[in-house]
Amino acid sequence: MNPPGSLGVLEQNVDEHSSTPILGPSIHSDNPQERIQARRLRIAARLEARRREALGEYLDGKKESEEDQSKSYKQKEESRLKLAKLLLCGTELVTNIQVAADMRETHRRAEEEELKRQRIEKLENEVKTSQDKFDEITAKWEESKQKKIPQELWEMLNTQQLHCAGLIEDKNKLISELQQELKTKDDQYVKDLKKQSDDICLLLERMEEQVKNVMKTFRQELHYIEKAFEVERQELLASNKKKWERALQAHNAKELDYLMNRIKKVEDYEKELNKQRIWDCEEYNMIKIKLEHDVQILEQRLQEMKATYQLNQEKLEYNFQVLKKRDEESTVIKSQQKRKINRLHDVLNNLRSKYAKQIKQFQEENQSLTLDYKRLVTQFKELQKAMRHFAFVDDEKFREIWLMNEEEAKDLIDRAFAVDRIIHAQHLGLPWTAPDFWFLKNVGPISQQQKKSAVQIVEEVLMQTEEEVEEATSEPESYLDLPKQVSARTTRKILMLLCDESGFLIESKLLSLLLPLEKSECYLLRLDAIFSALGIESEDDLYKLVNFFLKYRARHISPIQVKPLHQAITEKTSVAFDLELDEQLAMEGEQEEDLVEEEEQEEGLESPPSPWLIHPNDVLKILEAFVMGLKKPRDFRAPVKVLKVTRNDSRDSEYWHALTTVVPPAKQNLWDALYTALQKYHLVLTQRARLLMENEALEQQNTELQMLLQQYLDSKINSQLQVPPTQVFRVPPK
Amino acid sequence: MQGAITPPSARSRSSVSTQERSSTVGHTSSTIPQPSKPSIPLIHPRSKNPSSGTSFHRMRRIIAENAEWSLAIVPLLTELCLQHIVKNFQKNPVLKQLLPEHQQKVLNHLSPDLPLAVTANLIDDENYWRRCCVQRWPVCHVARHGGSWKHMFFERHLENLLKHFIPGTTDPAVILDLVPLCRNYVRRIRVDQFLPPVRLPPPPWPGDQSDSGSEGDAEEPTMDHYQLGDLVAGLRHLEELDLVYGVKDCGMNFEWNLFLFTYRDCHSLAATIKACHTLKIFRLTRSKVDDDKARILIRSLLDHPALEELDLSHNLIGDRGARGAAKLLSHSRLRVLNLANNQVRAPGAQSLAHALAHNTNLISLNLRLNCIEDEGGQALAHALQMNKCLTTLHLGGNELSEPTATLLSQVLAVNTTLTSINLSCNHIGLDGGKQLLEGMSDNKTLLEFDLRLSDVAQESEYLISQALCANREAARQRALNPSHFMSPNTADGPENSAG
Repeated sequence: MNPPGSLGVLEQNVDEHSSTPILGPSIHSDNPQERIQARRLRIAARLEARRREALGEYLDGKKESEEDQSKSYKQKEESRLKLAKLLLCGTELVTNIQVAADMRETHRRAEEEELKRQRIEKLENEVKTSQDKFDEITAKWEESKQKKIPQELWEMLNTQQLHCAGLIEDKNKLISELQQELKTKDDQYVKDLKKQSDDICLLLERMEEQVKNVMKTFRQELHYIEKAFEVERQELLASNKKKWERALQAHNAKELDYLMNRIKKVEDYEKELNKQRIWDCEEYNMIKIKLEHDVQILEQRLQEMKATYQLNQEKLEYNFQVLKKRDEESTVIKSQQKRKINRLHDVLNNLRSKYAKQIKQFQEENQSLTLDYKRLVTQFKELQKAMRHFAFVDDEKFREIWLMNEEEAKDLIDRAFAVDRIIHAQHLGLPWTAPDFWFLKNVGPISQQQKKSAVQIVEEVLMQTEEEVEEATSEPESYLDLPKQVSARTTRKILMLLCDESGFLIESKLLSLLLPLEKSECYLLRLDAIFSALGIESEDDLYKLVNFFLKYRARHISPIQVKPLHQAITEKTSVAFDLELDEQLAMEGEQEEDLVEEEEQEEGLESPPSPWLIHPNDVLKILEAFVMGLKKPRDFRAPVKVLKVTRNDSRDSEYWHALTTVVPPAKQNLWDALYTALQKYHLVLTQRARLLMENEALEQQNTELQMLLQQYLDSKINSQLQVPPTQVFRVPPK
Repeated sequence: MQGAITPPSARSRSSVSTQERSSTVGHTSSTIPQPSKPSIPLIHPRSKNPSSGTSFHRMRRIIAENAEWSLAIVPLLTELCLQHIVKNFQKNPVLKQLLPEHQQKVLNHLSPDLPLAVTANLIDDENYWRRCCVQRWPVCHVARHGGSWKHMFFERHLENLLKHFIPGTTDPAVILDLVPLCRNYVRRIRVDQFLPPVRLPPPPWPGDQSDSGSEGDAEEPTMDHYQLGDLVAGLRHLEELDLVYGVKDCGMNFEWNLFLFTYRDCHSLAATIKACHTLKIFRLTRSKVDDDKARILIRSLLDHPALEELDLSHNLIGDRGARGAAKLLSHSRLRVLNLANNQVRAPGAQSLAHALAHNTNLISLNLRLNCIEDEGGQALAHALQMNKCLTTLHLGGNELSEPTATLLSQVLAVNTTLTSINLSCNHIGLDGGKQLLEGMSDNKTLLEFDLRLSDVAQESEYLISQALCANREAARQRALNPSHFMSPNTADGPENSAG
């Protein structure tokens, strides 16, 4: 149970024996303690065994639940306890020697101590007594010195000697005693050594025995345990075998039972099977007959079907042939088509590529063209700008040149006229009248009249009408612009009407703004808004409108004529316009009369198309019609505008020609004649003048020479000379 | 050239062999493999010349009727190389460069007689060292040397040298030369004898005992034993030092001088153990260590970093030495203290008890065969009431009696760490036995309680043993299954305990 402890004890034992020799009896000697120990051990072992048994039983009882294991377990437990006990007892037995040795040693020590104490006591006593004796002897020595008598001294000396001898004797005795003791101790030592060796032998013996015992018991116990296991196994085997056999038997019986049951059942089933078979046979026959009948019928049908089948087959074969042929054809066609498709595909691909290429090309082209176009546009714009600039410059230049030429011409003409007047007044003695030509009054280039915008005209008309109150109807400048057919009054009336009726065309905002204004201004602005709504922009449009209103009257009377009439009117107006321009150029001075005439003509021609007669309700209708009609001429407006820019130079040459022919040929002839006469006169005069000149020159020469002579005469040199020249000749008096 | 390489340890042998070698160079090749011949019996004949006497055998081999006969019997080159390495290992030790299997082969064929200088630091193979050990010593307890054959070899080798070292006669280099070889492998030194220096002029007069004593006094400086200092300083793994300053087997040449542990020895030993910081176990037994020497030794052991066990048994230590030991208890990590068979009396025991009361390291205390008597016993018992560490206490043969038993019974009821108490060979008496029995009835941890030969009534002794049995059972249960230790268990307990 405690091998380390026992081992330690053993080691200690060994140490003990090797170092301190202990005297002690062997186990065989009659040492009571040893025997007591042995007895004790026996009793302890017995009790232990009993206790173990009890414990084992207890454990058994506890283990009873596990019946299978209990036996081996019990055996194992028993063995374990037994072995533990054995080990314990063995180690105890072995260590007993050591303990005994220890005990002996302690005893020995105690005894030794006691002996030592006694010895010391004894020695001390002895020392004391010997000291006493010695003192006595020494005292006697003093005494002896006083002895005078030799006998006494001798006696004394003898006694002293005796005393000394006794002392020495005592000492010697003590010494011999001690030596004796030492000897006995030596003997004891030898004995102790022997005992120790015996002890060691015993110890070894016991150890060996112990080892042997332990080995033996271990083997035995192992054997027992194995046996127990074997037995248990055997039992287990037997019981299992029994169980197995029982189970087998039961199984066999059951098997037999099952077999019998099975046989019985098999017989039953066989009977039933036979019955079933017979019944089945009958049924089978019946069914067979029926089915054979059916088979016959079906065979007949089969034949029929076969016939039809044959027929159908032939038909189908024919069809098949046909279809085959068609198929072939179709395959041929298909191949052709395929080829075609391929070809077309190729073409398509080509075209596609081409198309793509072209697209690309065109895109590029387009881009380049757009670039070109842009460039051209910019160029064009620049050109236009330049052109405008140049036109303007040209105009200016033209005007300047014109003016210059004109001035020159007029100068010349003036000079001619002045000459002519002089001629007339001085040479001919006739009163001179200045010729009066239209072109003479003209300054600057001949230009067309600019078209005025509708609003301006309206303004004019309105202003005119306002002024009319004070002035007479005839205002030559303003009437100039108005159409010849319509009088200003009429126009004004019409416009007022229009203004009142078509207020819906004006924005409400504007109306609110117009409220605080003057009546005329109000009208003007209103009309402006209306015209912008109607699309009337130019003078012509306004006239057209006015005319349209006037014509409407007539249309009321004969509505069928409206259209042609309208056209006629427009044509007429345009013609009238041209005429007007011509007139303007041709005869400036007669404008007044013309206009008056025309007005009168118009009024006379169109009966009285008084605006008063136009019903306000009709205004809207008229306007609608006008707007519808106005749309057409709108388209022509752009070229008209362009044309407007070009200047009409048809009359220039005429003008200039007229300028050249200011002086009539008759007068020229007169001038020619006069010229020749005057030339002659001139010649004479020049001759006379030349002669006069000559004369004058000579005179001057004369004076000069005189001067020079005078100078010479006056010079100092004359005085210095011997003979002054002045003496020589006579100086002419001055 | 070969002679120059031979190590100095094999000086005697080399001096012989150099002569042989100097005669013929060719001869050496045949003489050197001679010792290795038995170790490689299979290879050897093949390596010999075909002209030798084994040719017949070889012829037989060649003519064998085996159709599959091949040249395989010609040894491989590696084999030959390995043989050569083995042969010349002493001169040219090649081992580490080899493949593992080749290393093994070489090691298996190496001779155990190779000089240690070659093998000590080169060969770690246990098998080789086992062969060395078995060859040298008939009984080998490898378990005592940490299970390592190499350690065992060096330790025992060193012990042998120490045992037979005679100061003044033997060359100290014999031991010191070994130090660099064995420094890594020696863990313990166990020397049970130190020889004193030999007196060269043997005294002509047969000296009496008294004379020899006076002589010993006179020649004390010359009686010093081997000084361990240098050796121990060289051993870096030394853990155990077990010394006996005495002579074994002196027989009839007995002289007191032979068993003299001098003061110089004592001082040098003290310095040695103080310097050895790896020392765990120090034993100095049977060496006549008295109080003064014990105090010198113990003073050097104060605050030692590693010391765990101190054994000064079988000496002459008295109360002063015990007091020193008590001081050591409180100034070290000592776990085992053995003062068995000394002369410690009550005062020494009291000082030990005082130290024990507050000690937390000591596990085992042995005061066997001292004379602490009841005063010391009571003091120890009082200390045990406070101590929570001590498990083993041996107070056998200490003249203890009833009062100590009374106090110990109180201790038994209280203490839960003690597992073993030995009170054998005391005078406990009947009443003391009863009181101890009472104490035991409350104790559940004590496993051993030796009361033999201590005048205790048989009945109480029997009952105590029963209680111990119960405790042991409980302890076994606890050890087997700590979670529920009261249940019965499997039956492998006895086998374990028996083993």
